[in-house]
Amino acid sequence: MKAERLFQILGLVDESLIEEADTASSPAAVQRRPSWVRLLAAAACLAVICAGAWGLWQSNPGAGTGSPGDAALAGGESGGDGHSPGTTFLSYAGPVFPLTTAEADTGLTAERTVTWDFAPGSYEDGSPRQWGAQVTDSYTLTNPTDGGVTINALYPVPTSWLDFPGLNAAVTVDGGDAGFSVLSGGYAGGFRDAGEPDGSTWNLAPPDEWADYQALLADGEYLSRAMEETAVPEVPVTVYRFTDFAAPHEEYNAATQAVTFTIDPEATTVLSYGFNGVSWDTDRGWCQYSYFVPDGVRRETETKVLIALGDDIGDYVLQGYADGGCDQEIDGVSCTVTRRETTLADVLDLLCRAYQAEFEQFSLGRGQESPFRYLSQAQYQGLVWQLLEQYGLFSDTPKDRYSDGRLDEILMEALSQERVLYLSFPVTVPAGGSVTVAASFWKEPSYDYGCSGSENVGLQGYDLVTALGSTLEFTGQTAALVNTDTIEIVRQNLGFDLENGVAQVSLDLAEPRYYLEIRPLEG
Amino acid sequence: MEDAEIIDLYWRRDQRAIDETHGKYGGFLTGIAWNILRSHGDAEECVNDTYLRTWNAIPPARPSAFRAWLGRIVRNLSLNRWKQSRTAKRGGDGMEVLLGELDDCVPEPHGTEKAMEDQEIASLISAFLRRQSPESRVIFLRRYWYGQSVADIAAGMNCGEGKVKSALFRTRKALRTYLEQEEVFL
Repeated sequence: MKAERLFQILGLVDESLIEEADTASSPAAVQRRPSWVRLLAAAACLAVICAGAWGLWQSNPGAGTGSPGDAALAGGESGGDGHSPGTTFLSYAGPVFPLTTAEADTGLTAERTVTWDFAPGSYEDGSPRQWGAQVTDSYTLTNPTDGGVTINALYPVPTSWLDFPGLNAAVTVDGGDAGFSVLSGGYAGGFRDAGEPDGSTWNLAPPDEWADYQALLADGEYLSRAMEETAVPEVPVTVYRFTDFAAPHEEYNAATQAVTFTIDPEATTVLSYGFNGVSWDTDRGWCQYSYFVPDGVRRETETKVLIALGDDIGDYVLQGYADGGCDQEIDGVSCTVTRRETTLADVLDLLCRAYQAEFEQFSLGRGQESPFRYLSQAQYQGLVWQLLEQYGLFSDTPKDRYSDGRLDEILMEALSQERVLYLSFPVTVPAGGSVTVAASFWKEPSYDYGCSGSENVGLQGYDLVTALGSTLEFTGQTAALVNTDTIEIVRQNLGFDLENGVAQVSLDLAEPRYYLEIRPLEG
Repeated sequence: MEDAEIIDLYWRRDQRAIDETHGKYGGFLTGIAWNILRSHGDAEECVNDTYLRTWNAIPPARPSAFRAWLGRIVRNLSLNRWKQSRTAKRGGDGMEVLLGELDDCVPEPHGTEKAMEDQEIASLISAFLRRQSPESRVIFLRRYWYGQSVADIAAGMNCGEGKVKSALFRTRKALRTYLEQEEVFL
């Protein structure tokens, strides 16, 4: 019966959708979902996030979250004293940053106008969608000197590589499409424990307020590193690659191949890719890596590699098992193992290219745009190496999250972690003349999760910083709102007064950060 | 206990893993099985089978979304059990009604359809659902993934049953059109 097969197939839809359907309490609680791999990780965290957020809210309900009674509220008010921090949302999207340059001193002055356009979008089924805003950040660059000035303009965007294509970022110079390349900053966040305050570093802790970005960008070091090319070192390694898989899948639906060996942990470090299970006995140096034998049905990588750094792993034993418990030995499980001495750079090149190919095959099938349209393989491999070097087994202080040497997480999270990306493009300003430069992009709001119980569920937060990280000398800044019929302002420190037609305001350059919190009006 | 800790228990082959899974997700799993089977005895057996499957699969599996992962297992087991009970002519008609509705989504054959693996079709359906409004896809999946009744969905979504029925009707029709455009043959 065809309906039966369809019912069965529906069981295989993405876990993120299943989670969403389970956790949404009302249409308002359903928020934009991030894409593919990020969600594989994020879905697992969703329940934890909600629980953690609820715990945080319960333990300190006033902390960091504005309430409707705050002095800084109200669309019609100027917005308090300009120093209110606004709401600290559970999901922070990062501020709109000012344009900067690769050069330390350009001699240019800049007049800036930031516009949030709240024209609602729509879903493909035609229902309206008031989520996020189209931001245009425009600059009139003036050259008061006697000679022309050419700069490498850098426009910072807080996002991840996975989310970046969805921003539809564009750059214009004097109204013409300028095109851009993208420089990548490193992971912008830190690490935290898994719920128990034990000092462990199992979970990611992305930036959750603007001060995190302030600390990251203020001294210019983050940008300097983003402008450097990172190359993977030619560290010698021994690579074992597993191919040509076979198993009695008809009899065992979780047939597993395990490879077991003994190492001296002081002399050998093992990295893996494509393995589902890892077990160690650190006292004896006993290691067992296992994977479900590919059956052509499960969407799992067929690239399976063990990488030995330092001494080789020596003799190993291959054994098939009925399932991942690796208790019941079975016959008929086999593979080809190829041993090769090479370099870490070489094997990361292999894995990163395989990952890109699998990712693009998957994302193309879902109509998603690939970040690799903007991200070169050399950049990607550099980001993977940065993670390994700063936080993985090549770090002096490796994080618990990456302590098992699984490269699967590192390759995935190099794409999904929050960072600052810089749209890079040249601009020439003639002597005594001016040029208008504009960056435009879709901006996701900051928000509280629908399941958090917070009174700020349904609010959308936006903020901008006036000077952080910028080399430009600003002569003035303006903020503007357009297409505001479908929103109301709940809190702000900008001074908009929509009821009285004030949709454009001058900013005080001494104020480092402005915020705006809106609520979509009921359709 | 956090999911990661429960999964660690499975990895250590510690049988408390099953107790913890049952304590945290027993009600959730029983609800799915009940929605499909309408038989307490059968639902209970499917939930117990789910724990056994989980014990056999972890390790080496390390499910990233444990709740949905368990839900998928119990859903499949319940469907199989329903097929058996249908043959034996026992159990309720919850599943019959669900499948009758899903018939609306089955595309008409035109002779050029592709023979696709289930996972490929599921990926297409996931892409389709992402292009629907959150409200529509939540209602659709609560009905056809979790097997909830229209009344329960309406209560959960704080809206009327008419709205739920209307949303389901639209989404079923849209899915059928989409599958036909994609030349999917079931």
